[in-house]
Amino acid sequence: MNDIKEKISALYDGELDHNEIDDLLKIIDKNPNLQEQLSLYGLAGLAVHQDENNIVSIDSGNRENKSIFSNLWFSNGLTAAASILLTLFIINNVDISRMNISEDSTNKIASAINSKEAKDIAERSEEYLIDHILNVINDPNYMNTQETIDLRNVGFRHNVAGGYKYSNGNENFQLRVEKKNLGLKKIRYWKHGKKMIYVVPLSDGRVVTLYGNISVSSARNIAESLTK
Amino acid sequence: MKKNSNDSDSLLVEKVKEGNEGAFNFLMNKYYPRVYASLFSFTKSKEDSEDLAQQTFVKVWQQIQSFRGDSAFFTWVYRIAINLAKNYVASSGYKKQKVNSSIDQLEIDISSNENIESILIHNQSVDDIKDFINTMPESLKTAFTLRESEGKSYEEISIITETPIGTVRSRIFRARESIVDFMKKELINNE
Repeated sequence: MNDIKEKISALYDGELDHNEIDDLLKIIDKNPNLQEQLSLYGLAGLAVHQDENNIVSIDSGNRENKSIFSNLWFSNGLTAAASILLTLFIINNVDISRMNISEDSTNKIASAINSKEAKDIAERSEEYLIDHILNVINDPNYMNTQETIDLRNVGFRHNVAGGYKYSNGNENFQLRVEKKNLGLKKIRYWKHGKKMIYVVPLSDGRVVTLYGNISVSSARNIAESLTK
Repeated sequence: MKKNSNDSDSLLVEKVKEGNEGAFNFLMNKYYPRVYASLFSFTKSKEDSEDLAQQTFVKVWQQIQSFRGDSAFFTWVYRIAINLAKNYVASSGYKKQKVNSSIDQLEIDISSNENIESILIHNQSVDDIKDFINTMPESLKTAFTLRESEGKSYEEISIITETPIGTVRSRIFRARESIVDFMKKELINNE
């Protein structure tokens, strides 16, 4: 039986030889105890990840210890000012910085924010961000981009042996650059276990994500250096 | 063998797409605890979380053909769970229930094994498990942690620990078995 369980453990990790999978699946299907064992493996892993699962968004007004997801869910229209700004750009194609406070512009803002289309767009941009953060958290390879960026001008060295990490003393992180705009107008950041996730919009329209042990000031410096 | 954890589910997902229910059941059993725990963090209700977890996996089965593998499988599952929970929280039924819950006593049907999931709600239990992991032999702890926390493949762990892959596989299995035994004896039975 231990041989079967060891195979289950290997398949759980995606490491079982392909030609053994079908037979093992049939055995598990007939044995409720093995199915429970599999779920308990999942529980064991979840216990290890429990700290990391307790993700707290610290850039919104709400400082309660909600998970990142609940925070993002309920942030539409409440804390997602960036999404609303994006909505205005898309709906009205206006330059916010030149918009004077007038009845006309106020009406534009009101109609844009209240329109179903605007809400849908705002929600989509927020959902895109959720997808992005979920990938950062759940996919170990998502941040392992092949692209190498020289960050020595801000004091960080590239450390290939560490899984494409950049480091400077106690600070180390992974970096990923999106060529598409995620609908951000300001830095968004979250605490994920002991690590931080920074999503920083760049002036050239790209978005950089930094994930690791790094301060917000370092994250900002790095982001600024990418557009120089 | 798979070379990294990112595509550790890809073969099973392909089998599910071909209609292999065994592969689907495997993935469901593997991820049910994580989906359930996530849903519970929103609903704070055992029954709602169970319902939503069930709905999540029904949708996974129904929509598996649309999964293109752009993200990790669990990320995709998680999104389905999130959307279901989001709709549920926004529903009038949920709001009505929240109002009524202050006066209606919820009926909780406790069966023999359902506390398996609920033990994770208690931080003390999680701490106990972590404490237990720290007492495990270093070789088991290292292999298990590199796999579960760092997402390393067996091959990568083999290189890092300078150990044959077969030994890595065995150590991870033994670590899991030890943790499961601990959970069964110390936590589930004491609930």
